[in-house]
Amino acid sequence: MISISPKVLATGSDPLIKSPLDLNNLPPEQVALDIKQLNLFYGKKQALNNITMSIPKGQVTAFIGPSGCGKSTLLRCINRMNDLVDDCHISGEINLNGHNIYNKHVDVAELRRKVGMVFQRPNPFPKTIYENVVYGLRIMGENNRRRLNDAAEQSLRSAALWNEVKDRLHESALGLSGGQQQRLVIARAIAIQPEVLLLDEPTSALDPISTLVIEELINDLKKQFTVVIVTHNMQQAARVSDQTAFMYMGDLIEYSDTNTLFTTPLKKKTEDYITGRYG
Amino acid sequence: MNKWFKSGAPWIWLSAAGVSISLISVLGLLWLIASRGLSYFWPSQLYQFDVLDKNGVKSVVIGEIYDREEIPVSQLAHLNLVLPPEQEVLERLLIKTGNRELVSLDFRWLLSHYIQKTETPKDLVVVERRTNGNFYGYIDSVVVDGKVVDSNQLTTLLARVENFQQQIDDLQKSDIGAINYQLERLRLKTRKYQLQNKLTASVQAEIDSEVVSLNQRYAKLEQELMGYREEISRDHLVMRAMDGQLVPINLEYILKVTFNNKLNFFEKLSTFFSQIGSFIIEDPREANTEGGVFPAIFGTVLMVLLMTVIVSPLGVIAAIYLHEYAGKNAFTSFLRIAVINLAGVPSIVYGVFGLGFFVYMVGGSLDQLFYSENLPSPTFGTPGVLWSSLTLAILTLPVVIVSTEEGLSRIPSEMRYGSLALGATKAETLWRIILPIASPAIMTGIILAIARAAGEVAPLMLVGVVKMAPNLPLDGNFPFLHLDRKFMHLGFHIYDVGFQSPNVEAARPLVFATALLLVSIIVALNMTAVSIRNRLREKYKMLEH
Repeated sequence: MISISPKVLATGSDPLIKSPLDLNNLPPEQVALDIKQLNLFYGKKQALNNITMSIPKGQVTAFIGPSGCGKSTLLRCINRMNDLVDDCHISGEINLNGHNIYNKHVDVAELRRKVGMVFQRPNPFPKTIYENVVYGLRIMGENNRRRLNDAAEQSLRSAALWNEVKDRLHESALGLSGGQQQRLVIARAIAIQPEVLLLDEPTSALDPISTLVIEELINDLKKQFTVVIVTHNMQQAARVSDQTAFMYMGDLIEYSDTNTLFTTPLKKKTEDYITGRYG
Repeated sequence: MNKWFKSGAPWIWLSAAGVSISLISVLGLLWLIASRGLSYFWPSQLYQFDVLDKNGVKSVVIGEIYDREEIPVSQLAHLNLVLPPEQEVLERLLIKTGNRELVSLDFRWLLSHYIQKTETPKDLVVVERRTNGNFYGYIDSVVVDGKVVDSNQLTTLLARVENFQQQIDDLQKSDIGAINYQLERLRLKTRKYQLQNKLTASVQAEIDSEVVSLNQRYAKLEQELMGYREEISRDHLVMRAMDGQLVPINLEYILKVTFNNKLNFFEKLSTFFSQIGSFIIEDPREANTEGGVFPAIFGTVLMVLLMTVIVSPLGVIAAIYLHEYAGKNAFTSFLRIAVINLAGVPSIVYGVFGLGFFVYMVGGSLDQLFYSENLPSPTFGTPGVLWSSLTLAILTLPVVIVSTEEGLSRIPSEMRYGSLALGATKAETLWRIILPIASPAIMTGIILAIARAAGEVAPLMLVGVVKMAPNLPLDGNFPFLHLDRKFMHLGFHIYDVGFQSPNVEAARPLVFATALLLVSIIVALNMTAVSIRNRLREKYKMLEH
């Protein structure tokens, strides 16, 4: 994290090192999530129209688009948080490791352990920092003090928070700053070793410096997890993601590697959006 | 003027006036209760009045001035008093004269017109007694075992009697009480075996031998008791009453002898506090008009605590169901409205419900099933502390439900989502995140419930409160907490002392003192709950977004 230039230029795929993935024909072992013909209705209103896309493993995929385009809705489909919304109906499938998560035999709690999520506003529980991080593990029945301590330290290190909080692990998490809280929430999510990490506008409530720290963190996280991020900030998408999907009015308009999408978009709507003509 | 109205100043004044009125009424209430109640414990001046009445008969009246009032002379025309023409009112004193064995009334009215001389002699004493109320007069002599001794020995003699009294109380309450309790249990055991047709000769013999040994112990204790009784009734105090009669009072009946007029301020202060102390820790005497109120305090607190233990889980569970699990439809809203309306049902209705449902139905069936050996005398099929707590729990249930639901709905959904997204189920989220955060709101509900329940009297009169309970619901006999027993309650005590007692005038200060005590206990219970709530709030305080 000493170097400045690569981060700003392209933390995403560097064309000199590896060529962009062919997103339409990913080999199965590289697919983290396979979304097929997904339709979502809130009551009678359709919010997602026939979305089909493959999200590659170990990379950062960004969803961008104007407010209300369905990007957060799509994200919440991946760990079935939409189940909590009354009157929400879904058709189509999302495959994680080849299994449809909307199959009726799927244990939703189990699924959410594999697909972690971080929300727009930091939401630490009113407990100590330590108890926040090990919450997921305690839910899974882990009570061994040493294993919990190890997991807490490791996750806090991964979330670049360890050095700031190691001396006050047993103080309330509510005493942390907004940016620290968001990193704590990320640490909490990765403590249970999910496969996929969903970030729903994780920096929209934070100041620029905290935003920068989180963006650097996302770059590190993709070494261990598949990251899917929703953002309304196009520069952020350009900075942190390998793939970008542009959505508009519930449709997936364009989905390709980040460089291509921002430099040579294929669709007129994409171009209008990234050049700032609306949204 | 118009501008003044527009500035909003009148409304500020109006709301300030509203606050002041509430404040003044609360403080006024407390002041009235406190001053009337506490003055009861202050040792009052003893007076000796030389009286010359309208028939020219001279007499002496000794006592405390209890009250004064002014009456117009026109009302006293029948007395044919010789008065200066400009005098329109006469003062009349209410004197507490005590000495119930000489005069049937404790009090007497005295026109100040008839009083010729008022004195406060230093050697006037007031004798507090176990029976027959106070005795006012002079100490004539002290008689020990038939011989007159120096009256300075009175304090030591009283301490000796007090000591024996203590031993007698211990013997009666714990030892003899325990034997009686065991004998009763053995009787019930025999009856139970009889009912089940299992009463074999060997069982009968076993029980009989236990009864015999208990009876032997009883006889021994009784002998010991008789010994103490003899010791205690040995000495006498001879008092000279206001009319010069000599009255012997057995020391056994004397609680305290006080020279009220000899006390300086600090001695009065210490008497004051010791009187308050004995009011709190002693049992009532003389049909509740004298002595302390300890059983009532104990009953009130125990009943409220039991009620809290019952209502809290019930209310919280109901609120969780209504808020978290019930579908958001018309039926749920109907349920919610029904719950809120329950809070408006008059409490006596709950009393009737408690008597019909808990006491007769549930209690009656319990007796049939488990206590048939005691029938026809009921065990649980009669009012008792358990049924009182349950009735009040039902009464306060809506309060707990409503405030818990309020607390649940104030929790931001991010908290739930955060927990659910970590793979917690809904139940785990509730248990580990939602309930702790909602705990201050739950405590608020419990505080309101306690405040409501501790002051409730009407339903209790139907389901368990009595004027005089022979035993506390908690004692040293297994199973220690006797939920079937009736109990005393401060609220009912106020009613009983104030309106049902044979001597209303004497009991009036007691009413205020008991009211003050009830208010203090409710405040203490509430403060405890509030401090718990504040601690929880501090612990689970939410982010100020």
